[in-house]
Parts: sequence; structure tokens; C-alpha cells
Amino acid sequence: MDRETIAKVAKVARLALTDEEMERYAQDLDAILNSFAVLDEAPASDTYALNPVPVVDVLREDEPAQEIDPQLLRGQMGTYEDYVRGPRLS
Amino acid sequence: MKIGLEMHFQLPTRSKLFCPCPTAPAEPNHNICPVCLGYPGSRPSLNRKALEIGLGIAQFLDCRIEERVWFSRKTYFYPDLPKNFQITQYETPLGTDGRFELNGRSIGIWRVHLEEDPGRIRRVGRPGEEIAFVDYNRSGIPLVEIVTAPDLTSPEEARTFIDQLVIELRALCGLEAQDEQTVRVDANISVGEERVEVKNVQGLRNLERALRFEAGRQYKLIAAGKRVVRETRRFDEERKVTTSAREKETEEDYGYIGEPDLGEFRTGNMLRALDLKETPLARARRLVASYGIAEVTAKQLVLTSSRLTDLFEELCHHVPAERAVAWTTGPISGNWSTLQDQAIWPELVQIVKADAEGHINDIEAKRRILALAGVRQEEASGTEDDLSKLISDYIDAHPEVLADYRRNPKAANTVIGHAMKESRGRHSSKEVVEEVKRQMERRA
Amino acid sequence: MSAPSTYALIQYAQRRHLAFTETVDGLDEGRFHFSAKDNLCALGFQARAGSAVLEGYRPPFDATPIHRLKAAGGQLVGKTTMDEFGFGSFSTNSAHGVPLNPFDPDRSCGGSSGGAGAAACLIPGHIALGVSTGGSISGPASFCGVVGLTPTYGRVSRYGLIDYGNSLDKVGLLSRSAASIAQHFGTIAGPDPKDPTSCAQPPLAGKGRMPSSLALPREAMENLDPAVRKAFQGALPVLRGMGVAVEEVSMPSLRFALPAYYVLATSEASTNLARYCGMRFGRREEEFNQHFNDFFTGVRSEGFGDEAKRRILLGTFCRMVGFRSRYYLKSLAVRQMLIGEYRRVFQEHDAVLTPTMPFLPPRFEDIRRMTPLEMYLADFLTIPPNLVGMPHVSVPCGYVDGLPVGMQVVADHWKEMDLLELAKGWEGAFLYTFPEVRP
Repeated sequence: MDRETIAKVAKVARLALTDEEMERYAQDLDAILNSFAVLDEAPASDTYALNPVPVVDVLREDEPAQEIDPQLLRGQMGTYEDYVRGPRLS
Repeated sequence: MKIGLEMHFQLPTRSKLFCPCPTAPAEPNHNICPVCLGYPGSRPSLNRKALEIGLGIAQFLDCRIEERVWFSRKTYFYPDLPKNFQITQYETPLGTDGRFELNGRSIGIWRVHLEEDPGRIRRVGRPGEEIAFVDYNRSGIPLVEIVTAPDLTSPEEARTFIDQLVIELRALCGLEAQDEQTVRVDANISVGEERVEVKNVQGLRNLERALRFEAGRQYKLIAAGKRVVRETRRFDEERKVTTSAREKETEEDYGYIGEPDLGEFRTGNMLRALDLKETPLARARRLVASYGIAEVTAKQLVLTSSRLTDLFEELCHHVPAERAVAWTTGPISGNWSTLQDQAIWPELVQIVKADAEGHINDIEAKRRILALAGVRQEEASGTEDDLSKLISDYIDAHPEVLADYRRNPKAANTVIGHAMKESRGRHSSKEVVEEVKRQMERRA
Repeated sequence: MSAPSTYALIQYAQRRHLAFTETVDGLDEGRFHFSAKDNLCALGFQARAGSAVLEGYRPPFDATPIHRLKAAGGQLVGKTTMDEFGFGSFSTNSAHGVPLNPFDPDRSCGGSSGGAGAAACLIPGHIALGVSTGGSISGPASFCGVVGLTPTYGRVSRYGLIDYGNSLDKVGLLSRSAASIAQHFGTIAGPDPKDPTSCAQPPLAGKGRMPSSLALPREAMENLDPAVRKAFQGALPVLRGMGVAVEEVSMPSLRFALPAYYVLATSEASTNLARYCGMRFGRREEEFNQHFNDFFTGVRSEGFGDEAKRRILLGTFCRMVGFRSRYYLKSLAVRQMLIGEYRRVFQEHDAVLTPTMPFLPPRFEDIRRMTPLEMYLADFLTIPPNLVGMPHVSVPCGYVDGLPVGMQVVADHWKEMDLLELAKGWEGAFLYTFPEVRP
């Protein structure tokens, strides 16, 4: 894995890396991904599932409910006039 | 010109897509819980109703529906997205490869899928330095995304398309009444080779404006011998122009992976259990095909009332369709509030039948129908003026309707509704509609 | 001299072995006492999952397993130390203390439920809730000389578990004996509407069936520390003496398990960790004047530790356009293939037997010299059953130079009670040793 790739991945992941980190992670990931090359030898297959056991048709009925008082949650988020403040948009 | 649309409609559920928080309007950050706030350790669980409605829409749009469907995580960072990923559908949308009949033309539907809405952002602060004020009430609201092929040929047609789609979906699953204003659309538009995506347009009027502006911009570039750049643009509602979105926002790599917390869903049984209603415009097409009536008449019937259309179809079993049209859109719709009582329909049918077979004349038939509706002849005569006054009084009292009407002729519906209600069925819907239109046009 | 009190032992485990991040001030007599790994949310405690980015987070709800143990008469006595978000095999990637092995404080407890392993070892009768994604219960159980049960994926609700990899995470139990695990496992198991993946399970058997035939994959006997191999082989005659047959088999697909696991685990983890960006966690209101991208990047770069960053980078890469089908989708398919391979073995055998860890509890100074890849490879025996979501139990099976060696038994989905039956039988045939504690 080259530095250009690691820089792009870090940007997508919203991580700022120092030069030293960039170097080190590139080296680590290179070794790791090389060892993962064995995956290419596994037979290809289109059958896959998201879970190791079947989880099928688990649904919730459309009944409104709130178990936790939203006021408690607002309190944890430091709201201003009930809004949650965040950083600059532009 | 080629236009393709990506529309987002809110589904009419009582609770959110992945948590039981209410969907009803509320003060900011009152309809929230750990799930829609993205608290670690909270988990989504799928609202059955949302899946049913979504599948119903996919089936209505004649889509191919896979037996196995699941959800995916679309990862991107934005202050309104509590988990910084959106649970949506990627590999297995509810439907693909469908179509929608638009005034005799088939518009391709590429996909129909469900996804959660992010929170709503209020921008606060000096322009260019605004910070985010986030309201998570909207976070987790169920949306259906419908993506069309680039089969639409003009901004007007794009608008008509959504207009008619909303009529159908409203009847099919009860979409909210405000969808013309709240629908969120991303549109692809190309007048030449290269296409441009106009993102995040809210409401039909803005959509038409955005597309008109963008088409004009592209035509001018081409006429000047310049190239249209393939890019994402945003519609500025204030200035009514599209502007290039910053590069930074378009280079996100969503890195889709499956959402393991929800498992997967089998569509077969749910589809078989669905009982899809015939939608108004589909019904109108059937009326035209089965009874040979004019398309405009068929649309007027189905958009007035589905029960009135039921009666029309009942009459068609006994009398020629043109007679059924004349009576249903005339005296019957004029006295619909009493005549909608199904118990008196057999008698109504007999009167119309007797008229059609020449046993009685039209005047007698009308007298009998009005008698059936409990209206005395004297009352029935000379009501034209009442209607006209009723309408003009209402418009006088509600000048904002007129202002709305200038922007969107649909605003007339408020007046029509009022007049229909107040005249208590003494006038046919046709009479009311015509009178309202006449007065609105004159004043506007 | 009388035996030290449970409370004194908890204090000792916290102070001398850094097993706990937080503990209660006193014990309720008449209740049984349990601890929870710090990635399980509980009222009254912080839930930081070993990460600085979750500093100060006090969840407004109990995780379901904690809720159920409390309802069954338990008292939550503390939160146990762990690798940040579960990212590690030695509990050294922890922002809130690195737990020290009860048998030798210069050595690791294993990870990522290292604090849970230490607490289970140091406090007789203690029940520790652990969490395993790729071996985080078996590993510490082996290194700390205790019993660790990792249930089938979906057997125990994950509601309130701070996610690592949602298709891999499993909440389980560690304790000195299989009997006490069996006593509490029924309490935490069972469907929970707040975790849909827990709603697909068959009912838990009342009593398990003692496995009579174990398969020993020859692939598992490669790359072992000779001391571990010897101790493990010494356990085989004891098993046979119990009437349990052990036969060598081949499971060639096991070599795909480790890469497939790391691809899936980090792909999922990198999305789970996206939410830690300063909006709700790691909030820094004084920096809201930054553009959100810079703000998020700043909070994340400072809040996450070294291994968390490495796994975020790896996972983000594996699901990016151009690499996604080679890594992510291929790994999903490999998991299905491996489930098939285990099933073939289960046609002839009741369970699969291997050592738990390939070496003895390592010294911290040796861990510091390991490369990340070497650390990942240390889990090659615990990863396969975790990847396929099959239940497994690790029990002590020998001692080398006063350090415990563990063996791991894997059964087919939902057969936890069979494993506990075997583990209880094992306890009748093999005597466990625990370090002497003088608080």
C-alpha cells in the first residue's frame, strides 16, 4: 500500500495522520493485506449472507413509543433552544 | 432533452423506520431515542408497515422484486447524520426495472428502495460561517426513494410526472397531503451529451424552476460552442439558479456494507398478503378502455370520488356509457352528499335505466333523482347565483388563496372543497370546478 | 487465616491487576456479584469501551444481559478493562489501564476481555460478562486460567453493547467454573426485541448432551509453542478417560478464516466508529468555529488510539470502491463456505477441539516487539469459530511453569448446553489451579 492510497483512505475515514503515522500504517497495512492475498485462492461464490446464522423477517409493529425521556437525552447533548449545536457547515 | 428523477417521499407510518419514536410533528429534538440518535449499543429494528408500503409501491410500479432483500450502510460524514452512516438499500432494493404510465407513455423506473432520513439542519450565524443547529426529530423518518430512467423530456413533464405519481401513491398508501411541497428530488438533466445532476431540490415548483434554469444554461453553453461539464449542482431557491457544488462534497466514497443488525427479509409472503387498491389514474385508464369515455371525463370522475366512480361503473352495466357520464357528472355529483348512500343506488339505477330506455324523459328523470336526494325543485332552480356568491365570498375572505393560486393553480382546490361542502351537494362537482376556475382566473 | 472478603478481592483485582475501570463502593449481601466488560452499557457507570473518545459517557440504559442479571438477583460490581473497542488480543490497547495477569503480573491477561479474565480468576464465584468478536472471551479465559463461554451469534442480546463488528460480536461469560456459567447463562440468553438478531434463536436446551466424539483439525496443531502443544496433548488421555473420543481431521479452509475475519470485523468496525466525531461523543463546543470536516477529523485523530486508527484504515480500505468485492464481499462468501466446512465435520463428530492460544501468556515486553500482523496471527485458533458464529468454550487443560494453558471446544450453532456439559465433566476429571491471592 503506497502513501497516496493511505492518504486517500485516511481522508475518507476523517483521520489526520502525521508523516510518521502515514509511513507506519502504510507499512503495517501492506504486510496485513499481503497476508490476506490467500483470500484470492478461496473459491468464488455468489451466495453470501450478512449474518452467520439466519435472521429472517424480524419486524416491529408500527406502534409509536418512547422508553427514555427525550428531555434526559437532550440534557446529554448540550442543546440550545432544544437544538443540538454542531460545527460550521461551510 | 433527457431528465431522470430520484425522488424521496416520506412514508405515512406512525413510528420511525428503525425505532418506535413517533413521526408526528413535535418541538425540536422531542421525537428522539438512542436508536435515532445513533447511541452506541442501540440497534435498529424494521417497521413492518414501512416494508409493506415500500413493497406495495414497488409492485404498483411494476418492478421486479427479489425474494431476499436486506439493508446496507452508506457511510459519509455530515452533522445531520447521527451515526455518520445512513441505513439504506444498495444491492437489493425493494424493486427494480419497473415503469409508470404517464399520459400514454411508459416512464422507466430503475429502482425503489427504503432508507432513513437524516436529521434536519438549521443554519445559524453569519452567511458563509453558519454553524449547524440539528433537530433529530427527522432522523429515522422512513423514506421511499424512487429512481426513474432518463425518460422525461421537459421540466414540465418532470413536474407532471411527480404530480401524477403523487396522486397514485396517495390513493395507494396514503402519502401525506403536502407531498407536492415536501418531495425531495435529485434530477439528472442533459440537453446534449453530458449530464448534470441537480441535487436536493425541494418541492415541485422548485424542481420545475431548477430544471428550466439548468436546461437553459446547458443550451446556452452549447450554443456558444462550450462544453457542458459533468458535475453536481445545487439549486439556490433564493436566486433561482443552479450553482456548482463544491468538489469536496462529491468525492465521498460511501463504502457500502451490509447492515447485519437487521438480518434479511423475504418478500414473497408479504407480497401475496398485500391487497393493492386500484389507483385513480390507473382506474381512469381502465374506464377509457372499458367504456370508451373521454380521458378528461374519466380523470374528472376518479379525482372527484372513488365512490362516485363506483356508481358510474354500476350504471354502465345498465345504460350506455355516455348516459352514465351525463347523469353521474350532472345531477348525481351535484347531490352527492345524499346520493352517496349506497342503499339508494338500486333506485337511482332504475331511474337512469328508465330514462335510457325511453320510459321517462330527462326532465322527469332529473325530478325523480332530486326527489330521491330530498331536494325540492324550487330550491334546485336558481342556485347558480348562490354558488357564485358562495365562491366569491370565500375568495374575499381568504385573499391568500388567490396569492397561492398565482404560483400554483392547485390552490383552487381549497376553494372547490369549501364550495362543495357549503353547497351541500346542490351543485355538481363539474359546476363547482368551472365556477371556481372562472372566478379565480378573472381575479388572478 | 480466614478467606478474604469478595469486596477485598474486587479492590485487589482493581488496584493490583487493573481488572476494573470502575467498581461499586460496597456490596449488597444476598445478591450474587457480576462484572461487565466496559463496552456493555450500564446505568450508574461510564461506558468507555477502553477508548478516550468515550470519556465521560454515561449511557441512559442498561444493556440487556446486564438488565437480566440484575433482574435475576445480581449486583453489577464494576466494569472491566479491555482493548479499545475490543481491538486487541492482549488488552494492551486500553485507555483506562492494562490488566495484569493473575498468574504473573508481568504478563498479559489476553484480550480483549482481559479485565474480565482477571476478575473471573481472582474472585471465586465471580461471574464476568465478556464480549467476543474474534476470540476475546476464549483468549483471556485461556491466559487467566478460567472457563470462558462464547455463545452462538444471536443467542444473547447485543442491546447495549458498544459495537465492534455487528455480525461477529457475542456477549458471553467467564468464571472459575463451568457450573457457575451454566447457572447464569440461561438468564442472559433468549430473544430480545431490542436486538432483532437475537430473535431468530431456537429455545435453549434445559440440559445439554455430553459430546462423545471430538474432531481435532491437524491445521490447528501447526505453529504452536511446543510447551502449549505438550500441555494440550497431555489433556487428550484425560478426555479419553472420560469416554470422549478424539480423532484427527483436516479442515483445509481454516486458512481463509483469519483474513476473512479481519476484513469483515474491520469493515463493520470502521462504520461503527464513524459516529465518534464530536457531535455527541468527544464533543468540543469551543471548536465549533471549524468546518465540520476539519472538526470531525480533529476529534477523531485525537480521540482514537493507535490500533483503532489502524483498524479504521484497514476496514475503510476493504469496503472502498475497487476493493470491496475482492475483500468485503469475498469474505462474506468465505464465511458461508467455512460454516459448510464445520458442518461436514459435525456429521461425524459432536464438536471440534483445539488449543485456545498458540503460546503461553506473553510478557508485556515481548508484546511490545510484535508487529500488528503478528498480533493478528495470534488469534488463528479462536477466530474460526467466531467468524462462523458457533459457540465455543475454553477451559484450562494444563499448566506450564505455573502458567495456564487452555483448550477450546466448538459446537454447532445453538449447542451451548452440550459444551457446558462437557466442561462440567472436564472439571470432574481435571483439577484447576488458581493463584493464591493475599489482598
